[in-house]
This record gives sequence, structure tokens and C-alpha cells, in this order.
Amino acid sequence: MEVQKEAQRIMTLSVWKMYHSRMQRGGLRLHRSLQLSLVMRSARELYLSAKVEAHEPEVSLQPARSPDPRLHRPREAEAEAARLDGEQPSPEPMDTQEAPRAEEAPPRGGPRPAKVSRKRRSSSLSDGGDVGLVPSKKARLEEEEEEAAASPEVPDRLQPSPAQAEGAFPNLARVLQRRFSGLLNCSPAAPPTAPPACEAKPACRPADNMLNVLVRAVVAF
Amino acid sequence: MAGAGGGGCPAGGNDFQWCFSQVKGAIDEDVAEADIISTVEFNYSGDLLATGDKGGRVVIFQREQENKSRPHSRGEYNVYSTFQSHEPEFDYLKSLEIEEKINKIRWLPQQNAAHFLLSTNDKTIKLWKISERDKRAEGYNLKDEDGRLRDPFRITALRVPILKPMDLMVEASPRRIFANAHTYHINSISVNSDHETYLSADDLRINLWHLEITDRSFNIVDIKPANMEELTEVITAAEFHPHQCNVLVYSSSKGTVRLCDMRSSALCDRHSKFFEEPEDPSSRSFFSEIISSISDVKFSHSGRYMMTRDYLSVKVWDLNMESRPVETHQVHEYLRSKLCSLYENDCIFDKFECCWNGSDSAIMTGSYNNFFRMFDRNARRDVTLEASRENSKPRASLKPRKVCTGGKRKKDEISVDSLDFNKKILHTAWHPLENIIAVAATNNLYIFQDKVN
Repeated sequence: MEVQKEAQRIMTLSVWKMYHSRMQRGGLRLHRSLQLSLVMRSARELYLSAKVEAHEPEVSLQPARSPDPRLHRPREAEAEAARLDGEQPSPEPMDTQEAPRAEEAPPRGGPRPAKVSRKRRSSSLSDGGDVGLVPSKKARLEEEEEEAAASPEVPDRLQPSPAQAEGAFPNLARVLQRRFSGLLNCSPAAPPTAPPACEAKPACRPADNMLNVLVRAVVAF
Repeated sequence: MAGAGGGGCPAGGNDFQWCFSQVKGAIDEDVAEADIISTVEFNYSGDLLATGDKGGRVVIFQREQENKSRPHSRGEYNVYSTFQSHEPEFDYLKSLEIEEKINKIRWLPQQNAAHFLLSTNDKTIKLWKISERDKRAEGYNLKDEDGRLRDPFRITALRVPILKPMDLMVEASPRRIFANAHTYHINSISVNSDHETYLSADDLRINLWHLEITDRSFNIVDIKPANMEELTEVITAAEFHPHQCNVLVYSSSKGTVRLCDMRSSALCDRHSKFFEEPEDPSSRSFFSEIISSISDVKFSHSGRYMMTRDYLSVKVWDLNMESRPVETHQVHEYLRSKLCSLYENDCIFDKFECCWNGSDSAIMTGSYNNFFRMFDRNARRDVTLEASRENSKPRASLKPRKVCTGGKRKKDEISVDSLDFNKKILHTAWHPLENIIAVAATNNLYIFQDKVN
């Protein structure tokens, strides 16, 4: 749990640094962005593997929570992460993206399957090389998902004013702003000894998607 | 590697006794960002010392001639010339400001009375000519002494202008401007041993220039992937070999160095040698990848070795052995357990430089708390010294400093938690022939000399 919290803290910090680096004089520094994305990737892998470890003993105790997809998906995620570690220069978020995304599917219920299939399609699009389209598509998806899931949780005072999202990539900037404030709310809200059900809380989950977006979007600069 | 370089090395061994010589720069606690020194470089003779700062300014110091009547005043460095090299610019297409910070200065070998240097910011390299003027022509026919044109009808006789001495004036003028060749931020420039060409390197590309030609450059290394999402490493530093004009090296953010031979092909994407030390699995940590990034690479003067600086160590490589370095020196290993905090305060991204002494028997690099480290390769000894105002009495010897890594702190030791991470020494330079070093501590330039010198 500590490991997970620490990994999440580092992810939050990295996002913040990435956002901040866009504001610096001289523009986005490629080397710095790369280093930040590397740390974020490591933090995410740590977070996921820590989550997997937290899940596995729980799964056997809660058979009603559709254990089969959960059992399989985390293992996949682990295997993916291990494989990626072994072969260093591979497009990083694409392969592991499938697994955590799929993790979300079971708890959501009715409307979710439709959204899950949309995400998969978009990820295969970026495999095909439609690089220019992918970031903005992801941003819209994030916004829809966030509005559906997180709006009751984010207090009004933390909603960023639309005027802040300026610059070359306004969609991305808006996503970053909202994500950051979302994460700020997420961390203190999550109780330290949460059962797996809480892990499925929508507010915590989008962090993974956001990271994928950010890592790709920033690197694409 | 027995270095019998010019002067300085005592017969008994390489026991340096460093003494404070001078400090340049304001003493204020409030340091203006523009005054922060961003590069330091001696010229080939060591008589000139150039510094560049974040405000785009270049200051050149010249060593005074040794005065026989004052033998104790070994040549001091005084301001020779100051000029504004780069100004902030704006890229309208990308809506980005281009910083005026001087990233690197490199001197050209002197060929006539004037001195030439290359200075670069993130996007543009400039060739500056620094020349002295100590004579003035007087007695022109067509204009009078204050420059006003004389009325031609008033001229009744012709005279030959005479050169008269005047107060020494040092002029700096930009002779060439090499612009628009880099999409990414320039991190290195290096003058070739042919004295005609030089390279400039940014995050993904290295370009070859001719000093006389500004409208054209050749791209010799390009590591930009077809799909930017597949980017895994960037170029962090590049340098030409000191003697072989066809050889260059470049370091990467993954801790590797590639040596390229320009004779093998026009585009040196395929390296001739690949230097990488296999990672020690026991020391692997969360931040392993980013601390392995090489921040500086320097050839030895002999050309046989090269040195790389990563976040925690300096490594000396034999160009004939690619598998591992021949020496590894820990700069501040006590920081390994603090990497998370250093990530939080951005210090983990600091790019430290390193340098050789003239005989390649010693190497130097900076650290935090205004400490800098010196490694004597022959005696296998290292020392930590500090550049501080407290130790600034003329000819005062520098006392070695020690960082306490745990347990009981001895007197005069400083604990890791007390280190000031805002006081970092990123740029140092060693006189090419003598034991004189220049250490840049934020906005101050410290000059230390060896007592025996």
C-alpha cells in the first residue's frame, strides 16, 4: 500500500513537472520530457505491480466480484510489464494499456462495455500510425469519462477556468489541468486499508489512462 | 599516461595544494538569474578565460603578465572584454521564446593577433572576433578629428595620416552567425582539429559546419525516429577528437557513448565504436535510468582516453575498450539514497561537466554545496574542495572537505542533510598548461592556483 501511494505520488509529481515544463522559457525540453516520462513509466509499473500484489490475496476472498477477468487481467499486466522491462526500446504504453483498461470493465456494468470497445479501437488506431489523431481523441474520451465519473467528486472551486487552457494544445492542457486536480482529490480520499472494491473507484482509475495519454502526447512533442 | 605536461607537476608526485587566487562576481545574496554563469572555458594558451551567463553575456578575463618586481603576484586574471553575445528571441511559428543563455563557449586556436571564439545558445551559434586596438589614425584629409566631413574647398594640402597610440580598447564583433540549423536545443559545440570545421549537437542531430560558411551545414548524425513516440534516447554531448579530424563521439541519455568516423560514411548513424558499461543489477533503482544519463563527455588531451560524467560518477574510458571504463570515480555516492528528494527538487536533472588537467593526470568535476571533486589518477587519490567566500583570503590554502554519510559526524564534517543543493558547481575548467582552475559557483567565478605553481 505504501509502495502504491509512493508510486502514485511520484506519478502526480511527474505530471505536474511535465505540465510546468511547458510553461518554462525556451519551450519544452526534449531530454527533460523524456526523463520525466521514464520516471512516470517506472512509477506506473510499480503502482500496477503493487496493485496486483494487493489484489491477489483479496481475490480469493471475494468471489462475487467477478474474479475471473480480474485474475487474468492483472496477470497479463504483470507479464506485459515484465516483457517490456526485458526488451528496452519498445513503444511503451501501448501494450500494457490493454490490460489496465480491461480491468475497468468488470466493475462498471451497463454503459461501460460500449466505452471499453471504443478505447480499444482508438488504441489500435495509434498502432496504425495515425499519430496526429490519437491525442485529441484520447482527450475527448478522457473528458467524457471524467465528466461521467468524477464530476460529483470534484468540488467547484477546483474546477479550472476554461481560460487557463491556452497554448498550442488546448485540449491536452485542459485534460492536464483537470487530471491534476482530479488526482489531488483522489489521493487523500482513498482510505489506506481499502478493500479491492475501492480500488475500482472511478476517480483513482483514470490515472492510468491519463498517464498513457501524457506519455505519448509529451513524447510526440 | 605519464604526463609531463608544461609546468606545474612537482617531481615528487601529483600532490596539489590548491590556494585561493581570485573571485569574480557580485557578493550579493540576491543573485539575478541573468548573472548565473553557464559556461567556463580557457583558451589554448590559458591566457584568456571566457565565461558565459544566462543573460547571454560573455566576459573574457586575461591573465596579467608575470611581473618580475612582484613575484608573488602570479598572473592574475582581469576583465579583458565584455559583450552581449545573444539576445532573447521569439520563434513566432512555435510560439516559443528562445533563451539567450550561453550554453557553450569554445575558443578557436589563435592564428593572428585577434582571438576568435564560438558561443552558442539553444538555437544559434556565433563566431566572435576579439581584437585589440591601441593605435588610432590621426590627420585624415577628408574629415577632421571629431569625424565631421571637411569642406572640400577648404582643403589646400594633402597629408598622410599618422598612427598615434591610444588607450587600449578591446573590441568584440560577431563575424559569423550560424542560425536555423537546429530544431531542438543545442547542447554542444566542438571545434575540429583541422581548425576549419566544427560540430554543433542538439538533442537528436549533429551538424558539421565550416567556419567560413554560414548558410549551409551538413547533418552527420540523426537519431530522430520516424515515429516520435518511439523515442528512447537523446544526444546529451558531443566532441571532436583532439587530433583525428575524422573522429567524433557523442553521449546519450541512456549512458552510452558512440564514436563515429566520418570517413566511413557521410551520415554517421552507424557508430564505429559503442561504449556502454553493463548495468549493475544490484544498484538498480527507480531512478536508475535517469541518473545514468551522461551530462558531459571530454577527450583527454592525448586523445587516448575519454571521460564521461553521469549524475553520481565520472568514468574514464580507453578508446580501445568498449566494454567498460578503465576507471570509475564516485563523485557523491551518498546521494544515491536521496534520489527521490533530488527528483522532487529537480536537482536530479542537473548537468555536471568535467575536465582534464593539461597532462591528463587529474580530472575534476563539480558537486553540491559549492563542493568540487578532484581525482588524481596516478596517485589514486581524490579530494573534495569548496568554493566559498569564507575561504577567500589571498593565497589561503583550501582545506579538504568531507561529507559525513552516516553515524557520528566528526568535527569539520558536513552531513548530507545539511548540504545546500542550491549551491551547485556545474562548470569547471582547468588551465591547459598550468595548475590553475576556474570554478563557477552560481554567479561567482573562483580561480584557484596550485601553491607550487
